[in-house]
Amino acid sequence: MTPTINIQFNGISKRYRRRTILDGIDIALHEHQCTLLCGANGAGKTTLLKIMAGLEKPDHGSLSTGLGETKWRRCRRALQEKVMYLHQHPYMFDASVRRNIGYALPRTSSSENRDQRIIEALQWADLEDIASASATSLSGGEAQRVALARAWLRSPSILLLDEPTANMDQEARLRTHALLRQLKDDGMAIVITSHDALQFQQLADRQLLLNDGKITLVSKSEQPENVSAFPIGQARHDQTG
Amino acid sequence: MDSLNSATLDAMHLLASGDNELWEIIGISFRVSSTAILIATPPSLLMAFLLAYGRFPGRRLLISAFSTLLSVPAVVVGLTLYLVLSRQGPLGDWKLLFTQSAMVMGQVALCIPILVAMGHSALQAADRRAWETARTLGAGPLRAVLTVMHEVRFGLLAALLAAYGRIIAEVGASMMLGGNILHHTRNIPTAIALETSKGEFTQGIALGIVLLILAFVLNGLLHYFQGKGRFAL
Repeated sequence: MTPTINIQFNGISKRYRRRTILDGIDIALHEHQCTLLCGANGAGKTTLLKIMAGLEKPDHGSLSTGLGETKWRRCRRALQEKVMYLHQHPYMFDASVRRNIGYALPRTSSSENRDQRIIEALQWADLEDIASASATSLSGGEAQRVALARAWLRSPSILLLDEPTANMDQEARLRTHALLRQLKDDGMAIVITSHDALQFQQLADRQLLLNDGKITLVSKSEQPENVSAFPIGQARHDQTG
Repeated sequence: MDSLNSATLDAMHLLASGDNELWEIIGISFRVSSTAILIATPPSLLMAFLLAYGRFPGRRLLISAFSTLLSVPAVVVGLTLYLVLSRQGPLGDWKLLFTQSAMVMGQVALCIPILVAMGHSALQAADRRAWETARTLGAGPLRAVLTVMHEVRFGLLAALLAAYGRIIAEVGASMMLGGNILHHTRNIPTAIALETSKGEFTQGIALGIVLLILAFVLNGLLHYFQGKGRFAL
């Protein structure tokens, strides 16, 4: 079965102080697919993720969804509906873990429904024991699980994670991997930036390298034909959905 | 020294006796200043947020302008508004001069620079990830703004208390715009100035005690909330 293309970014360019960070990048993301994005420090990985999440504006670029191509200035809302970005060190609001997770729910949902969904998210991420604790005092691994629980509740089409296991011990790393695997199985398209490609080998379906503002395909796992035939840099011409 | 002691004791008695005139002056002061702070706070904090998070031409100029306005004397604000509200002024037809509304306008003008400058400092110190996290979690712009403000609530509360402390104790603008009319526009600072000029210290000291207690309570509240550490999100 050919996975559906969720979203495609076309010709993303960004310059900072006369330095080209991103140079006409095309990238398409599919549901159930995990992309590992590697690159040296300062290569522009975080900038690319933030642009894809609608948190930063590119100098040039457009977005294609199932509804056709949209100019960037019009697509911020679409991105914020479909995409979620997790910082390297996830930000915890100054409130309890429960309230932090509940923030991901729409304000329109009823209080019973909210409570139920929050309990489910706490169970999903194994956070019941610290539900009432202050979220600002959590360890890195716990904060990452809270962030993933928020992602699970919000269930975006695309989840972008910036170095999600940086500075974590082995146990926290394994738990984070397990949760990411579940999110991927639920159908999310996931993009992870990491220095350590080996760590995400099991999870990632393809590995991209960001270097000198361009993306190149480093490796891909065995996939149905149309998924693997995702020529980075020419996606607009070759994509078949 | 003896006269000071006896005037202070008399002032205590005056406060405790529930003197109508005294408590009316206190009431006018609180009403005018509270109205001014309520009117000024929302637009000022929004402006502070735009200056901290927005990127638009003239932003730095605006930041400098608000910082400069911090040091404008109250009497200059009073004079400017007096000219605007006087019968020959552009808003003379509104007939607001020597009313509590004019005093409110003066105090709004005085507290906006404080709220913007201090609010801007507090919001600029906020972690940028708070805004990004709120937005990526689906919060609309207004909810995200309120979330960031919640994260720096103590800094904003300090701005609010500083602004309130400034306007409730200012005399220049209130005197020029209110006219110090008994039962209408006489507030604590203008009453203190008047009584002192007459050599009647008792009421002045009583009102001064009220201002001191107010300052003490405002600071106490700030420290209480800082110590408590959280409000509900």
